[in-house]
Amino acid sequence: MPVQVIVFGQLTDIMGNNPVMVEHAADTSELIEQLNQRYPALVNKPYIIAVDKQIVTGHTALSGNNTVALLPPFAGG
Amino acid sequence: MITERKPKNIFTQGPIAATFIADSIQKHATKTNIGGHSIFLGQVRADDINGNKVAAIEYTAYEEMALEKMHQIREDIFAKYPLVCMHVHHSLGKIAAGEVCLFVFTSSAHRKAAIDACTEIVERLKAELPIWGKEVFEDESYQWKENK
Repeated sequence: MPVQVIVFGQLTDIMGNNPVMVEHAADTSELIEQLNQRYPALVNKPYIIAVDKQIVTGHTALSGNNTVALLPPFAGG
Repeated sequence: MITERKPKNIFTQGPIAATFIADSIQKHATKTNIGGHSIFLGQVRADDINGNKVAAIEYTAYEEMALEKMHQIREDIFAKYPLVCMHVHHSLGKIAAGEVCLFVFTSSAHRKAAIDACTEIVERLKAELPIWGKEVFEDESYQWKENK
């Protein structure tokens, strides 16, 4: 199942402002691995992961048609 | 008192005008159970970084997620403090140095709840809402803002 990836803040300098599609990723770790290969500059950048707007940690399964957001440190206010 | 509150939009394109803030204060004149208001205003600061001055901050957000999170913060704050009302407005887009980008306004019967709630909202908002700021310098180069 395809996964849509969106990024914000400083990560847009690496991946741009448009959603990126990844064809197959069983979980978030597999997804990040694929993204790191496509965007080497992403490796070691600080961010947290949200799957369908919920912040997740560890290997989170992707059930299909998820939107995964990579969120660098927040800077509101 | 438990009431169902719907997620409110907190985002405004562009700066928050002083007249908007004044109108917002005026609107509370009819709520005579209020005895104290607390207001926090965030203003874009012209930081000087190695001789390069910040001219503006360009704000972006993961809006849907931010509004859901803000709704949760609002519920928590109303559960914790006896507030009459609370209003939060955050700018998106390019905000010039000196302009207001954040307006938090709490009201209660007595001052302490309004003051404490206002402080807690500002702290939580900065830590928990997915919002980013690009500091644009006078020479049009930029860096990404980090919250202290």
